[in-house]
Amino acid sequence: MRIKRVKAMKNPQEFIVQKFTEYYRDNANIIPLPTSYKNREFGFILFDKGGMLRHKAFVEPRFFRDFIKSITPSDVYHSAAYYKQPSREMGKKGWIGADLIFDIDFDHLRTPCKVEHEYWTCERCDQVGVGKHPSVCSQCGGSKFKMVAWLCETCLETAKSEALKLIDFLINDFGFPPHDIEVCFSGHRGYHIHIEREEIRQLDQDARKEIVDYVLGTGLKVSLHGLMEVRRRTGHKVIGPDLNSPGWGGKIAKGVYDILVTYNIQQLNEINGISKNMASLIYSQRDKIFKTWNNGNSWGSIKGIGIKTWEKLVETSVDNQSVNIDTVVTIDIHRLIRMPLTLHGKTGLKVISIPSKSLERFDPLREAVAFSKGTLKVYVLAAHRFRIGEDIYGPYRREIVKLPMAAAIYLFCKRAALLTD
Amino acid sequence: MLVSKEDFAKYPFLIGAVEYVKNLDLKTDELSQPEFSAVVTRAETRIEEALIDGITKWESRRGYEIELLSYPVAVIFVSNIDDNYLKKRYSLAEAKRIQSLLKEEVDEKLIEIAISVFGWNVKNLPLEVYQPFDFSLSFIDYLRNAPSFHDYRWKLVNKRLINGEVFLQKDEFSRLISEEVRKYIEKTINTSPKVELNPLLLQRIEHIKQRLNLRKERIRIKDQPQNIISAAYPPCIKNLYDFLISGQHISHVGRFTLTSFLLNVGMKVDKLIELYTPISDFNQRLTRYQVEHIAGVRGSGTKYTPPSCETLKTHRLCPGPDDLCTRIKHPLAYYRRKIRMIRK
Repeated sequence: MRIKRVKAMKNPQEFIVQKFTEYYRDNANIIPLPTSYKNREFGFILFDKGGMLRHKAFVEPRFFRDFIKSITPSDVYHSAAYYKQPSREMGKKGWIGADLIFDIDFDHLRTPCKVEHEYWTCERCDQVGVGKHPSVCSQCGGSKFKMVAWLCETCLETAKSEALKLIDFLINDFGFPPHDIEVCFSGHRGYHIHIEREEIRQLDQDARKEIVDYVLGTGLKVSLHGLMEVRRRTGHKVIGPDLNSPGWGGKIAKGVYDILVTYNIQQLNEINGISKNMASLIYSQRDKIFKTWNNGNSWGSIKGIGIKTWEKLVETSVDNQSVNIDTVVTIDIHRLIRMPLTLHGKTGLKVISIPSKSLERFDPLREAVAFSKGTLKVYVLAAHRFRIGEDIYGPYRREIVKLPMAAAIYLFCKRAALLTD
Repeated sequence: MLVSKEDFAKYPFLIGAVEYVKNLDLKTDELSQPEFSAVVTRAETRIEEALIDGITKWESRRGYEIELLSYPVAVIFVSNIDDNYLKKRYSLAEAKRIQSLLKEEVDEKLIEIAISVFGWNVKNLPLEVYQPFDFSLSFIDYLRNAPSFHDYRWKLVNKRLINGEVFLQKDEFSRLISEEVRKYIEKTINTSPKVELNPLLLQRIEHIKQRLNLRKERIRIKDQPQNIISAAYPPCIKNLYDFLISGQHISHVGRFTLTSFLLNVGMKVDKLIELYTPISDFNQRLTRYQVEHIAGVRGSGTKYTPPSCETLKTHRLCPGPDDLCTRIKHPLAYYRRKIRMIRK
């Protein structure tokens, strides 16, 4: 009985392509083209071919829309750069400028749940397992595996809060008006932030690197933000940036304050360079420290807590306050980014553009659903608990389940399920 | 405000100064006439000062007119000699002179230069409120020049950045303007039209060339050693190298860094490809293509050098500096120095 059932299973590839084709047939006309689209390069990943179809350019939106309907790509991108001749090879395009872009992907984030939602599939049979893959597959003896990552709510939330932190940097430090900051859910694991303004187009790679270093806190010297030790006859005193200072000064102070308020002795001790004794001392003196913090830039004059200790706390504070972005994306002035309202080939979810002020309330797993009609019976090889739309599904293990279309396609795209007859 | 002959002589790149010279409608032939001999001599000393002292002097004794006119003549000379070292050295020397003059000017003059010549977005700050800062400059204009200064205090992350504006003290702002001036002068030299010079001026140029060659002789950098000495690799390269031979994953930037470093210290393409073989996603053809691209054998023909220490830090490829690292800014510089230390 069981064997018969497995025989009736089919690779869902054709089905995915059919659904993507339907999506683009019905939606291609509402996909907005980026500004100055004539000067941008477009790129596509196709289902049946490896690599990317690049160097495409369109002089009219309908040509783009017809093209996308005719090829049914798995993923769609456009350049953040503007070129004189976007369809020529890289060296001959004639770079005019590029938007400023940031990528926050939970691949780069240290989330504790990461081990739980990574799984492997054997490339030869369809054996699946959670966590690290074995050296040989127990079912077929194969030794090549593909790692797949589930969408995880904790990770998505972490990515979102990183994006919100970045927006704060962009508005308050860099002075960009909120309406010029476009936030996009990538359809998979993170957010892109995209700024189109005439004056930033010309920024070269060195300038963009400085912006990256700013939001990452790379190269930050706390003495240049006012942390220093003042020695008096009555004893020493440490002064530092004020909680209300703008820019990194205030961020450092807030970060240190947060550490003092929220960390317990154990957590303080985990900070590199803070001994167990020092951790207890800091913990026991917190109230005294807070009192001095109310006096402007004074950080305290507690015996035993010298400037070296404060520097260690600041290092952790900078780590906590900085935004974990993918450094390469922002510095690369030829980068391709995903287009809003196109589909992500690894999830079947839509890329969604969100006004920066609405990000906090945005629910990617509900609002990015592209296939909201119908249900489907699928054979799930293995699936973690996951949510698509309002409902939570799984965990499943080698069983047939009836799922809403979006959840079924999600599992197909993740290679975690097969089509039943 | 900046309209006096003195201002023009001090800052010959001012729009008013350029126009003033243009309106005189001087021909290069006229320069060999006696009345211009002081101008030509001053042009020559400007270049000599640049070569020897690295800074041109502010010379007002003979009058502003001579000082002003000698600048475009010096530019013609440097452009005619067409030597990259001289072009850079001269532009830098003029920029240094300007920086020291700017420090003495009132704030309004600095603002006027930044706005009228370079179109910068800058404001003067009321002293009482923003002490110790004098100016606020748009971060975009700040980043035109600051990234080329390597000291930590110039990093944007160490600046007070509020609402898109970087807060600066006067000496910092003068330095930024002078860097823009340096680039401006270098561009002027590179775009100045080739002019036929008469024998008298050519003689002067010959004289400058001799001085230049003497100077270059002195600073000639010794040829790099032929053997690759792995003991002299900086920590970042050692790290990447260890990752590579143990078959661990290296990011794209990491591979680029390692490849360009090894090519630059003299490793052959074939040897490098052999090194890449243990990597799991190894693809001989693709690897060869990429390595040859970095070596400058393919594509645009550019031979790439590894990223600077700063860039490596940004991409988190710096495992933490050792003693020597704190004195250099580039992994190749580390390698050269270390070799010298080893040989001693």
